[in-house]
Amino acid sequence: MAKNVLLVDDSSTMRKIISRSLRQAGLDFGEIYEAGDGLEALALLESESVDIVLSDINMPNMNGIEFLREKANRPAIKDIPVFMISTETGDDIIGEAKSLGAIGALKKPFTPEKVNEVLGPLI
Amino acid sequence: MNSFTELSDKLIESTIEIFTGMVMMDISSAGEPVEKTGTFKKSITGMVGLAGTHKGILAVHLPNEVALAVTSNFLGVDVGEINEDVQDAIGEIANMLGGNLKTILSDRGRDIQLSLPSTIFGDEYAFSSQAESDQIILPFQSPNGMFYVEVELER
Repeated sequence: MAKNVLLVDDSSTMRKIISRSLRQAGLDFGEIYEAGDGLEALALLESESVDIVLSDINMPNMNGIEFLREKANRPAIKDIPVFMISTETGDDIIGEAKSLGAIGALKKPFTPEKVNEVLGPLI
Repeated sequence: MNSFTELSDKLIESTIEIFTGMVMMDISSAGEPVEKTGTFKKSITGMVGLAGTHKGILAVHLPNEVALAVTSNFLGVDVGEINEDVQDAIGEIANMLGGNLKTILSDRGRDIQLSLPSTIFGDEYAFSSQAESDQIILPFQSPNGMFYVEVELER
């Protein structure tokens, strides 16, 4: 069954690019939901059926690390997998994200081929 | 990072990677770094700040024609005026360049913090450097005109 995806990025342009890359990669997904920061993402996770989250790190209001930390404290949504897509891919930051439950990371910039290679097995 | 020459080479590589890989626009380095950009006319500048062990700013300066072409390529639709989509797209270019600059300056990533991107645009404006900073301004050629990537780092 096709998975529903939540894209979390403060850049509407980047959300469109990730969405397009998913389509160009030929991945079979269901609904694509969008959130502009961690707070919006938490609200969407509570109200919609989301199978996987693709999240930026550097965002206003609630960044990707804070989002992971808060999500881990909410039993209803804590097990939904989160994959980071960010310019922030230093070992320390990605290590912290993974310690909070992130299942992997993809560095911006990326190509549709890279999206397919990295996210294909998850979606 | 050992030298500004090495930093310049890596920034050129990063810029070309971002434009060819994500903007789907073929660009090339347009020669040696320039000393000044002067006044920008009908242009937009995207920028991110760096704080921590390296303090400074990364900026990308694009004439409106180049910015519109970048945004149109990014979004897959024609964009005819400088609007929120263009500001967002150019801010994201600066954000990706800033992320790469951070990786160049610090492999582990915790000792430098990036600000959220911001943009300025208008019919005529100047972008001035701090007195006590090292500066690189790299020119690039796109199909729609020249643009510049600028880095200033506090000494």
